[in-house]
Amino acid sequence: MNSSEDSAEAIRMLRESAAAIVPPGGDLGRVRALRFKEPGYDPAMWRRMAALGWFALRLPEAQGGAGLGVAALAALAEELGRGLVPEPLVAGAILPAALIAAADEPGRAAALLPALLSGARTHAFAWQEAAASLDIARADTIAEARPGGGARLAGRKLFVPQAAGVDAFLVTAREAEGISLWLVPREAAGVALATETMIDGGNTGTLALDGVVLGAEARILAPARAPALLARTLDEAVIATAAALLGLMDRAFAITLDYLRTRTQFGKPIGSFQALQHRAADLLVQIELGRAAIGQAARLADDPAIPAPARAAAASQAKARASDAALLVTRQAVQMHGAIGYTDEHDIGLFLRRAMVLSARYGNAALHRRRHAALAPAIDTEE
Amino acid sequence: MSGAAAFGHDPTDYNAMPEAAFRQVVRRFLAENYPPALRHPQKRLHFRDSRPWYMILARKGWLAPGWPREHGGLGLSAGRQIALIEEYERHGCARSNDMGIVMIGPLLIRYGTPEQRARFLPAILSGEHIWCQGYSEPDAGSDLAALRTHAMREGDHYIVNGQKIWTTLGNDANWMFCLVRTDRQAKKQDGISFLLIDMTAPGVRVRPIVNLDMHDEFCEVFFDNVRVPAANLVGEPNKGWAMAKALLGFERIFLGSPKQSAYALERLGLLAERMGLAEDAAFQDRYAQLRLDLADLRALYERFAEQLRQGQELGPEVSMLKIWQSELFQRITETMLEIGGENAALAGPMEGDRDLNISGLFINARPTSIYGGTNEIQRTILAKNVLKLPG
Ligand SMILES: Cc1cc2nc3c(=O)[nH]c(=O)nc-3n(C[C@H](O)[C@H](O)[C@H](O)COP(=O)(O)OP(=O)(O)OC[C@H]3O[C@@H](n4cnc5c(N)ncnc54)[C@H](O)[C@@H]3O)c2cc1C
Repeated sequence: MNSSEDSAEAIRMLRESAAAIVPPGGDLGRVRALRFKEPGYDPAMWRRMAALGWFALRLPEAQGGAGLGVAALAALAEELGRGLVPEPLVAGAILPAALIAAADEPGRAAALLPALLSGARTHAFAWQEAAASLDIARADTIAEARPGGGARLAGRKLFVPQAAGVDAFLVTAREAEGISLWLVPREAAGVALATETMIDGGNTGTLALDGVVLGAEARILAPARAPALLARTLDEAVIATAAALLGLMDRAFAITLDYLRTRTQFGKPIGSFQALQHRAADLLVQIELGRAAIGQAARLADDPAIPAPARAAAASQAKARASDAALLVTRQAVQMHGAIGYTDEHDIGLFLRRAMVLSARYGNAALHRRRHAALAPAIDTEE
Repeated sequence: MSGAAAFGHDPTDYNAMPEAAFRQVVRRFLAENYPPALRHPQKRLHFRDSRPWYMILARKGWLAPGWPREHGGLGLSAGRQIALIEEYERHGCARSNDMGIVMIGPLLIRYGTPEQRARFLPAILSGEHIWCQGYSEPDAGSDLAALRTHAMREGDHYIVNGQKIWTTLGNDANWMFCLVRTDRQAKKQDGISFLLIDMTAPGVRVRPIVNLDMHDEFCEVFFDNVRVPAANLVGEPNKGWAMAKALLGFERIFLGSPKQSAYALERLGLLAERMGLAEDAAFQDRYAQLRLDLADLRALYERFAEQLRQGQELGPEVSMLKIWQSELFQRITETMLEIGGENAALAGPMEGDRDLNISGLFINARPTSIYGGTNEIQRTILAKNVLKLPG
């Protein structure tokens, strides 16, 4: 976008188109119906999101994208988070699209993007090898060079979100010069995917690569460009996930405020009891801290003048607050609902479950606080 | 009596034995008899699953440790009862459907007629009657005295209409002890009676409710012109409230038991090892804090247990035990989320460790600050009845 006014307008329109799919305060029946069975989301909805151009949101216009920034991505993620949308927009489309679009060979991007952007083929970024880690360099998966340019991949990747529906994985692997990124089709020989159910009814995948033979064209990023690009893209996913948590906690809070106004005990709305009023006020503070931190992280991410450590630190700040606040808000939302909050029939529990999943994804609060502390010296010397 | 053969008697006077010796007896009994598959269940068991344990206790004559001898109990002192519970908890014994033993049995012994005792107590001891607690209603939770389920006297019956909710294991029970309104004119607490309802009677309908742990552990119970013999009224009509309150003392100390927190803390230690954090300074600091939180809980619990041993009734102070235990349990599971990373969001146990179900513990910790009187209500009790603050 050329001006911030255009950008504000684009974000408004984006929120509107999201509201068409996720009506504010809308029924969560669709979300419920998709839980606890694979792929954990609705492929028709997935294609509809693709048709809205969302998968190409962050791509430059030259690559058929909307050329929008992280602030726009965060706005969209927030709206989808509000509706507990199970389709993995960030993990399954935005992240892989950014990585493929940045391929070392522009021809590869041109060849692979159409199927991704149309929703025909779902991709996932498979980088993680340990729980509670955000360190891309921590990869034991090996890409052993083969004569003629390809490689044999061997290793194990963990916690691939909504993996049950994935057609191709973007896998980080170690080679002599460092970390590179490879495109691994799910049906390739030597690939085994095991999925497990998550507490929100979605799934997570463990990807085992047992001597998967790939041609040279499968290498999307060589070690020269991979680490910086991967880290930056992952940070965008961190911010987008923080924004999804913001939407989620915002709506869980609204549902709870409604309940405080309508549920009566002792002849009064329970929201008239000061203990609950003060609790609600505290939650409001947390939500607004989260909103402010996320807005700041998105602004810094969109500003090319900002050095990488400051950008990363702001992303961590946002995710740390959003993860903690979303868990706090949803826990207290259940508490303030009383026993009905502890049922699966009431929607409020859906928010707690999703908060558990998203607060852990791409690093939980504790991890991001540590990461922020580790980045702080680099930022301080720049100031 | 038909049920008499189904339960045993243990003539040993455990009160006369030193406590350490008694604990030895219990430990040996558990080691030899407790079904290993039922140790540390991750969910509250249904009767179909916990029944073997219930019947083992029944045959041993240990089902009702607190009841007097003449009613088929063990006649244990409060102190011995606490020791017994501690040994069960240490072994990871499942809580069976104990509402008959812990709640309605003692109430009938205290307030019931000889006929009621003769009819209901043996049936509890034989496992024939499984009880549930019907207090809460959709519009009467914290404000229990607002309950509306109505029982109208008609000849020698009451006709019951209305609805109960959150009835724990109501789907296992064939009897419910119930608070009902018998006088709609009287002010709130005054028109409430205590009624025993046969859940197999025509007009009773039970709908299980799935909880956040995806377990059908509580129920809605509907009454549509259910005929209940007037002989099933306990105590005087319209005097049920005071009796129900009298039951709460033991329940409150039970809810303050350190067992949930102790179990969770042990899981936390295990998780830290799995995550390679056992030597991490920040984790050790947090762990030390939680461990002392638990040690202090034990000390406080011991203080209340001692009051029971001395034969004293527990006052409103016991609310502090429930607050601290439930919130400590919750803090421990929150710390598990913090160190478990993505493992904490799995619906089941962690890979390679059947007993490390982080999300399950976290979810199960949620209702401890809701049931048995919410923690907000417990704080109000402390502020009003202990601190005597104005209001
Ligand atoms: C797992 C579970 C098992 C249960 N088993 C049984 C059972 O077997 N039998 C049975 O009869 N009941 C049972 N209950 C019900 C339990 O007793 C009630 O949930 C409890 O009394 C709270 O009532 P409520 O759920 O209607 O919440 P509400 O009373 O509606 O409370 C909603 C929120 O408002 C707060 N609140 C209410 N009044 C005040 C106030 N004056 N000041 C400040 N805050 C206030 C509460 O603390 C809570 O956070 C069970 C509940 C649970 C969760």
